[in-house]
Amino acid sequence: MNNYFMMKLPSDGKNEAFARSVVAAFSLACSPTVEEINDLKTAVSEAVTNCVVHAYKDSVGVIEISCETDAAENAMTVSITDYGCGIPDIAKAREPFFTTRPDEERSGMGFTIIETFTDEMYITSSPDKGTTVTMKKVFKGC
Amino acid sequence: MNLDFKIDGGDICVKLVGELDEYRARTLRPDVDKLIDSHGIKSMTFDMKSVTFIDSTGLGFVLGRYKKLRQKKAELLLKNVPPQVDKVFRTSGIYSFVPIVE
Repeated sequence: MNNYFMMKLPSDGKNEAFARSVVAAFSLACSPTVEEINDLKTAVSEAVTNCVVHAYKDSVGVIEISCETDAAENAMTVSITDYGCGIPDIAKAREPFFTTRPDEERSGMGFTIIETFTDEMYITSSPDKGTTVTMKKVFKGC
Repeated sequence: MNLDFKIDGGDICVKLVGELDEYRARTLRPDVDKLIDSHGIKSMTFDMKSVTFIDSTGLGFVLGRYKKLRQKKAELLLKNVPPQVDKVFRTSGIYSFVPIVE
């Protein structure tokens, strides 16, 4: 059976650790390796950071996180949605080291890390409406 | 949070602890920068042994310290890098200009 859950939380930096830990805990049913759990935690952290730092900038908005396991594939899909400013140029945002906030020592590696640490990544976004980042991690074990 | 560091002449070793994300980097930055601004710094080593997690914000923090040290003609070194941190560092290519020491 495929299992799923959803949660909503405010885009407060303090919630990042909670969000990635919850997703990591949910993935345990797929018997991931330590490295796979860390990959997932890192990728989730990047997407949540984007909501906190970029989507809602100096305000606080809602972040929705939904997870679904795929028993047949032993995989998990995580979608992270905000209703913030949106991304004007997704292709540009995906480039390694690209950041709209270089003054804040942003590394510009967020999407690159999600892409590298998971198996699939999709971004949908519209200006002033928000962004959804969907990532899929296949747990291969050992 | 108190910063755990050792000063040996111009060489400062800082022991970083816990999860280096957006939340932690924000509070860590001014404390570490105060050390970098101390007189006659030659090198700063980040001992990563007790870092349990890092993301691109933590990476940005490390890169930012590298740039600040370079302006002072001082170098940044890394030590005891755990696997999760190592994977993020390798993805970024940081090792081509910030070496690991024993």
